[in-house]
Amino acid sequence: MSGARLTIFSIMFGVFYMVSFYYDLALFRYYPEVSEFHLLRNDHLGVVILWYGWIVTSALASAAIAFAVPPNLAERLSPRWVWIIPTAVVIGMLIYERRWFV
Amino acid sequence: MIVVLLILHGLLAVALLGAITHQALAVLSTAPATNGRWTFINRFRSVDATAYATPIVVLFAVTTLGGALLYPQYRVDVRPALEDMQNVAANGVFEIKEHLAAIGLGLLPVYWLFWKKPPQGAEGVAARRYLTWLLAFFVWWNFIVGHVLNDIRGMVS
Repeated sequence: MSGARLTIFSIMFGVFYMVSFYYDLALFRYYPEVSEFHLLRNDHLGVVILWYGWIVTSALASAAIAFAVPPNLAERLSPRWVWIIPTAVVIGMLIYERRWFV
Repeated sequence: MIVVLLILHGLLAVALLGAITHQALAVLSTAPATNGRWTFINRFRSVDATAYATPIVVLFAVTTLGGALLYPQYRVDVRPALEDMQNVAANGVFEIKEHLAAIGLGLLPVYWLFWKKPPQGAEGVAARRYLTWLLAFFVWWNFIVGHVLNDIRGMVS
């Protein structure tokens, strides 16, 4: 993956992670009480871990975008977006997660 | 086994915290020791920040992997106990910890790239600095939350 593509990947990863989290788009689910991975929801298997699935969903989606964006367009991207967009994602996440503290 | 992994995870986090703090202070824009006196902070930040980039990437990835391996134990034993204690805030800070770890993982490629092949111009230098500070914030948050949660409900308690 070229430098411009890596940049796009990193910028988009956080965005896709928060979308995956918010809309519950985990590619798979892990049920630790039975040590099993499942693609679909199985409520009778106990507590579920979605975090692994969110990460894989985000990695695949951001890699797809990184390869889809034309290289000349990616190389014109200002370096400032590599910190502005992730910072905005973190701020948005912190605002959403205030629900635990009210 | 899980206790060994927890201790290893904590030790790797200490190394990561030290490395990223050195680097985060090294990229401060003010020049150190302008008055000729070398304070502890001046010495702390007078490091070759570039040399820390690869170890930070490796430590972040390995520490997060350790956290991922520990997560099932947390989900099965610790989180329900915190819910029983109605310690909602503890679960909240952990949820933020897992988000920051994931977002940090995604940032590692561009972070490494910006340290190994720095973009030209002041904008690129500033982007690298803010990226480093962002990762440093993630590491500090995750380190403190990990320790606080372990103090509330350690794996062996």
